[in-house]
Amino acid sequence: MKNRSNRAQPALTLCALAVASACASQAFAEDNLPDMGSSAEPWKVDTFYENHTAFRGRDDTGKVVGLSKFRNTMQVEADKKLSGGWAFHGVFRGSWDGVYRMNKGQYGEDAGGAITSQSILGGTQTTVPWGTTSPAGPIGYTAVAGLGLPGNVFMDSYPNNPNAGLRVLGDRWHKTNGGVGFATPVRPCNVDSRGCADFGGYGDKNLNELEFPEFNSRLDFIREAYVKNSIDIGGGQELFLKLGKQQVVWGRTDLFRVLDVVNPVDFSRNNIYDELQDIRIPMWIAQAEWRMGASESMQDRNLQLIWNVDQFRANNLGQCGSPNVALDAGCFFRGMKNLWDNGGTVANFANVAPNTYLATNFGPGQIGLADVNLPKWSLANTQIGGKFEGVTMGGLSFSVNALHYRSQLPSLHGGKRATNSFTGAYQNAWPYLISFDMNFPRVNLLGGSLDFQSETLGAAFRVEGAMTWGEEFANTIKPELFSKNRVWRSVIGVDRPMFVPFINPHRTTLFSGQLFWQHIFDHELESTSMGMRGIPDFKDNVIGTLLMKGFMAGDRISPQLIIARDFRARSHAIAPAVEWSTTDNLKFTFGANFKGGSNGRNEFDDCRSCNPFAPFTSGSYPGDPMTAYSRGLAGMEPLGRFRAGPIGAAMREDEIYLTMRYKF
Amino acid sequence: MKKTFIAAALAVLASGLAHAATEADVENTFNPYKGGFPKAAGLSAGTVINKGNADQFKDVLPAGVFKLLKDGLFEIKVGPTTQFELSKPYIEATRKNLGKAKLGAKNGDIEGYVAGRPFPEEPDAKDPRAGEKLAWNYKYGVNWGDNAAIYPFYWKYRNMQTGQVEKTLKLNMHFLNFKHRVKDAPTPEVTPNPSELFRAIYMKVLEPQDLKNTQLLIQRYEDDQKLDDAYLYLGFQRRVRRLATGQTTDAFLGSDLMIEDFEGYNGRISDMKWTYKGTKNVILPMWNHSELKLAGDMPAEGDGYKYVNFGGQGGCFHEGTWQLRKVYVLEAAPVNPNHPVSKRVFYMDAQLGNLNGANEIYDRKGELWKIFMVGKSHPDHHLPLNKGSGIGIDDAFSMVDVQSKHCTTGQFKGQVDAKLNPPSMFQVQYMRGGD
Repeated sequence: MKNRSNRAQPALTLCALAVASACASQAFAEDNLPDMGSSAEPWKVDTFYENHTAFRGRDDTGKVVGLSKFRNTMQVEADKKLSGGWAFHGVFRGSWDGVYRMNKGQYGEDAGGAITSQSILGGTQTTVPWGTTSPAGPIGYTAVAGLGLPGNVFMDSYPNNPNAGLRVLGDRWHKTNGGVGFATPVRPCNVDSRGCADFGGYGDKNLNELEFPEFNSRLDFIREAYVKNSIDIGGGQELFLKLGKQQVVWGRTDLFRVLDVVNPVDFSRNNIYDELQDIRIPMWIAQAEWRMGASESMQDRNLQLIWNVDQFRANNLGQCGSPNVALDAGCFFRGMKNLWDNGGTVANFANVAPNTYLATNFGPGQIGLADVNLPKWSLANTQIGGKFEGVTMGGLSFSVNALHYRSQLPSLHGGKRATNSFTGAYQNAWPYLISFDMNFPRVNLLGGSLDFQSETLGAAFRVEGAMTWGEEFANTIKPELFSKNRVWRSVIGVDRPMFVPFINPHRTTLFSGQLFWQHIFDHELESTSMGMRGIPDFKDNVIGTLLMKGFMAGDRISPQLIIARDFRARSHAIAPAVEWSTTDNLKFTFGANFKGGSNGRNEFDDCRSCNPFAPFTSGSYPGDPMTAYSRGLAGMEPLGRFRAGPIGAAMREDEIYLTMRYKF
Repeated sequence: MKKTFIAAALAVLASGLAHAATEADVENTFNPYKGGFPKAAGLSAGTVINKGNADQFKDVLPAGVFKLLKDGLFEIKVGPTTQFELSKPYIEATRKNLGKAKLGAKNGDIEGYVAGRPFPEEPDAKDPRAGEKLAWNYKYGVNWGDNAAIYPFYWKYRNMQTGQVEKTLKLNMHFLNFKHRVKDAPTPEVTPNPSELFRAIYMKVLEPQDLKNTQLLIQRYEDDQKLDDAYLYLGFQRRVRRLATGQTTDAFLGSDLMIEDFEGYNGRISDMKWTYKGTKNVILPMWNHSELKLAGDMPAEGDGYKYVNFGGQGGCFHEGTWQLRKVYVLEAAPVNPNHPVSKRVFYMDAQLGNLNGANEIYDRKGELWKIFMVGKSHPDHHLPLNKGSGIGIDDAFSMVDVQSKHCTTGQFKGQVDAKLNPPSMFQVQYMRGGD
């Protein structure tokens, strides 16, 4: 078993351009910035403050979540022309999210609590204690020793892993329902360090770091800081240079990141609902463009080369215990890390008899997530890319893109070293064992994009496509529980303005539809007597989005509705919003996002039936009891999240919000 | 099919039979006041036209302007009629290529055009395609010359009833003729130009914050039958987005202007059915910038330049002087029945050939919707660098929506300066190279 979702994650443009008030005045900022060159041009500084407040309804536990965001952002954008044609651009951002203190029962030091586990007894789901074997609790050391295995390393209790500050993995969005279930600590890491590790910029944050996410060792408060210049190289051609911390935006489509993968993305800020501009993680990049202009056969030509010299950054999927945990992956990782470090009860695990699956108290170093192998900085680990962009004589705009990079999503490599729970024997590898290390594989991408218009249809079309080599997917057929697969992703988008008289008789309403298609090559999926095994991600998946955006009162009021449907996951999001610009400097957005559909068919092989410690784990499963392989027994955890996708995994995160942005 | 062919043949024949242009026509078209400036009873420099006396001057007032005056929304101060001599290279190109331009079979087709004013002869009411020829004179007119910039350009969105300024945009707007250039190098064409672009407009919004870095690029092809390419770069998306056809007839960035309104008419000739409605003398907003009382409430420019002041109801009306001009009344009805406009009426200045002095725009129901008035300054009484350019410098605009009682006003700092408009600026990639 390996976790990772290679689904493109739609950044639904709820355009939450909120607002609020700032601290420093523009004059203050201008007066105190350094000269930086001989240009007499003054600094141009814009400062704004934004408050984003959100409330969530009931999650799958039936409890109202309450406040899910009280984020206050101060952003300063500074520009200065320098000598020699150079110009500096900087964006500096600091945020404080009060939700960790204002709703600490959900997200702060009081989050989580004592939990229970589950066993199936003769086909009946039965609640059992977590972390102890009595009364009538999970299988532990004593019970297994009683079977003649005194060398076993199961646990009867967890002195170092108390039943406090925990939640059952995935309880926010689904029931255990007879599947695998285990605990995940949810409090900030200074309060509870269990399961804390750096999973790529998240996972080990204390309360202050969660509250003030930009102030860290990677200097994320510097959103952008670069210099740029266009150098005339004669013949109407230019060399454009842009050096520094920056965002490189590729592609033509909204919401989906098919080509727009140069910068990783911070989903912890507002899941998939903030503008990509605000959640791309800027990197230190050297960018050069040879702007060739027109030729005898093309109206425009441009060759761009980028060299991402920054130390690797992964997508920030959100730390478990914070409000935005994309795919609930951060909780999966933290729970797994805690299992490895401290052990823990795993629900419905031991198949001791037909229709009986007992919760099991694993000890440390047996299953879980051991090491996170974040790529260190080295020349070999820098990332390079190139893009040729052109406009044909007929007006067709296109690009060809290539990128050599590291996957921004983690891949879990299973079948690793562990101690046999039953015997205490240590091995460097246990095929099919859910003992993982986290890795970020190298990926090569080759793709392209184009756009054109149709006068007949009154529409503009945007197309993007990319093939990647090197991505890794969970694959329960493989002994290491992952496989490398080529992936094709593409999006076609259509923009068509239409008159909707009740919105505005003189102004069209924009209808923008997109269809995203992902195909995994050499996809493996097999049917067994107990269920499906192989790659949980759908071989072919399609997500559709529709944006309807109207404009009223001179565009100062803009109602919009976004609908997204994940067809294979059978889930959808509906996000209405209204933007109201009261003045040039003050803007409000009131909106909501509601999810629907069903996760009922997203269960997948959880590797309970993989029999890694043969013959002890052979249970009553079919097949050779001495051979490790998955028989396909399924549950929602942990791989169901990769079928549910970002919408399905947030099924119980219906939210309303108000944002206010004020520019000083 | 056969009928269509015959109709087309007859149309070509009719336009061919129309008066062939002569040197005298060239002289007349660029100097219609050779025999003296027009006069109207009771009208002279210093006359103020307002609600009280508008009826007296109804014959010399554009219909939309007359309505605004009758509604008491503003008043007009009349100045003397003045010569707006056009760029000498443009006049010379007209003379050199006299008689070469011919209309093609279809609306939007032209053959043999090289440079200058393609149809300098007086429009003939009996010529069924006279309106189309005037439209070509506009398309290939001097307008902003080979290249120019409005640098910067302030737009204000105003509630005409309360005077509240709802939004202020600061932007830069640039123009470049790829073809038929007559003055600034390279002439006659920016090469290579494989797509056969005729002209391009590039705009970048500097303020306010929510629109900052929004950029617009419109590329118009030499082949008028070919749809313009329009691209929008949204600062908050950091992407270039190709605009669908219908988006060029939407309120641009929430203003009272659509992209098609720019410069009076910013579309293809083939998008409209053009009708010449006659020649008149009407007053148009044309002045000497340096002689106006200018705005004191605008940001200071380093060179001391000041913008045209606005007043009247809601501050919607520029306060320059108007003058009596010889105009061709031209109507344009969209070919597309789904177009939000049913008709545009232009009062084309006979000397300059521009369309934006005082336009009336009618909605789909045929009711007057908007009135667009762009005031021009003589270039010799504007910025020093514009002196001698032979270009009527667009100086201020009022777009008044009479239905919603709303307006957008524009204050220009027009600069006829090739250096501000390098060809690379008018390519899609230029939009991506910013922030």
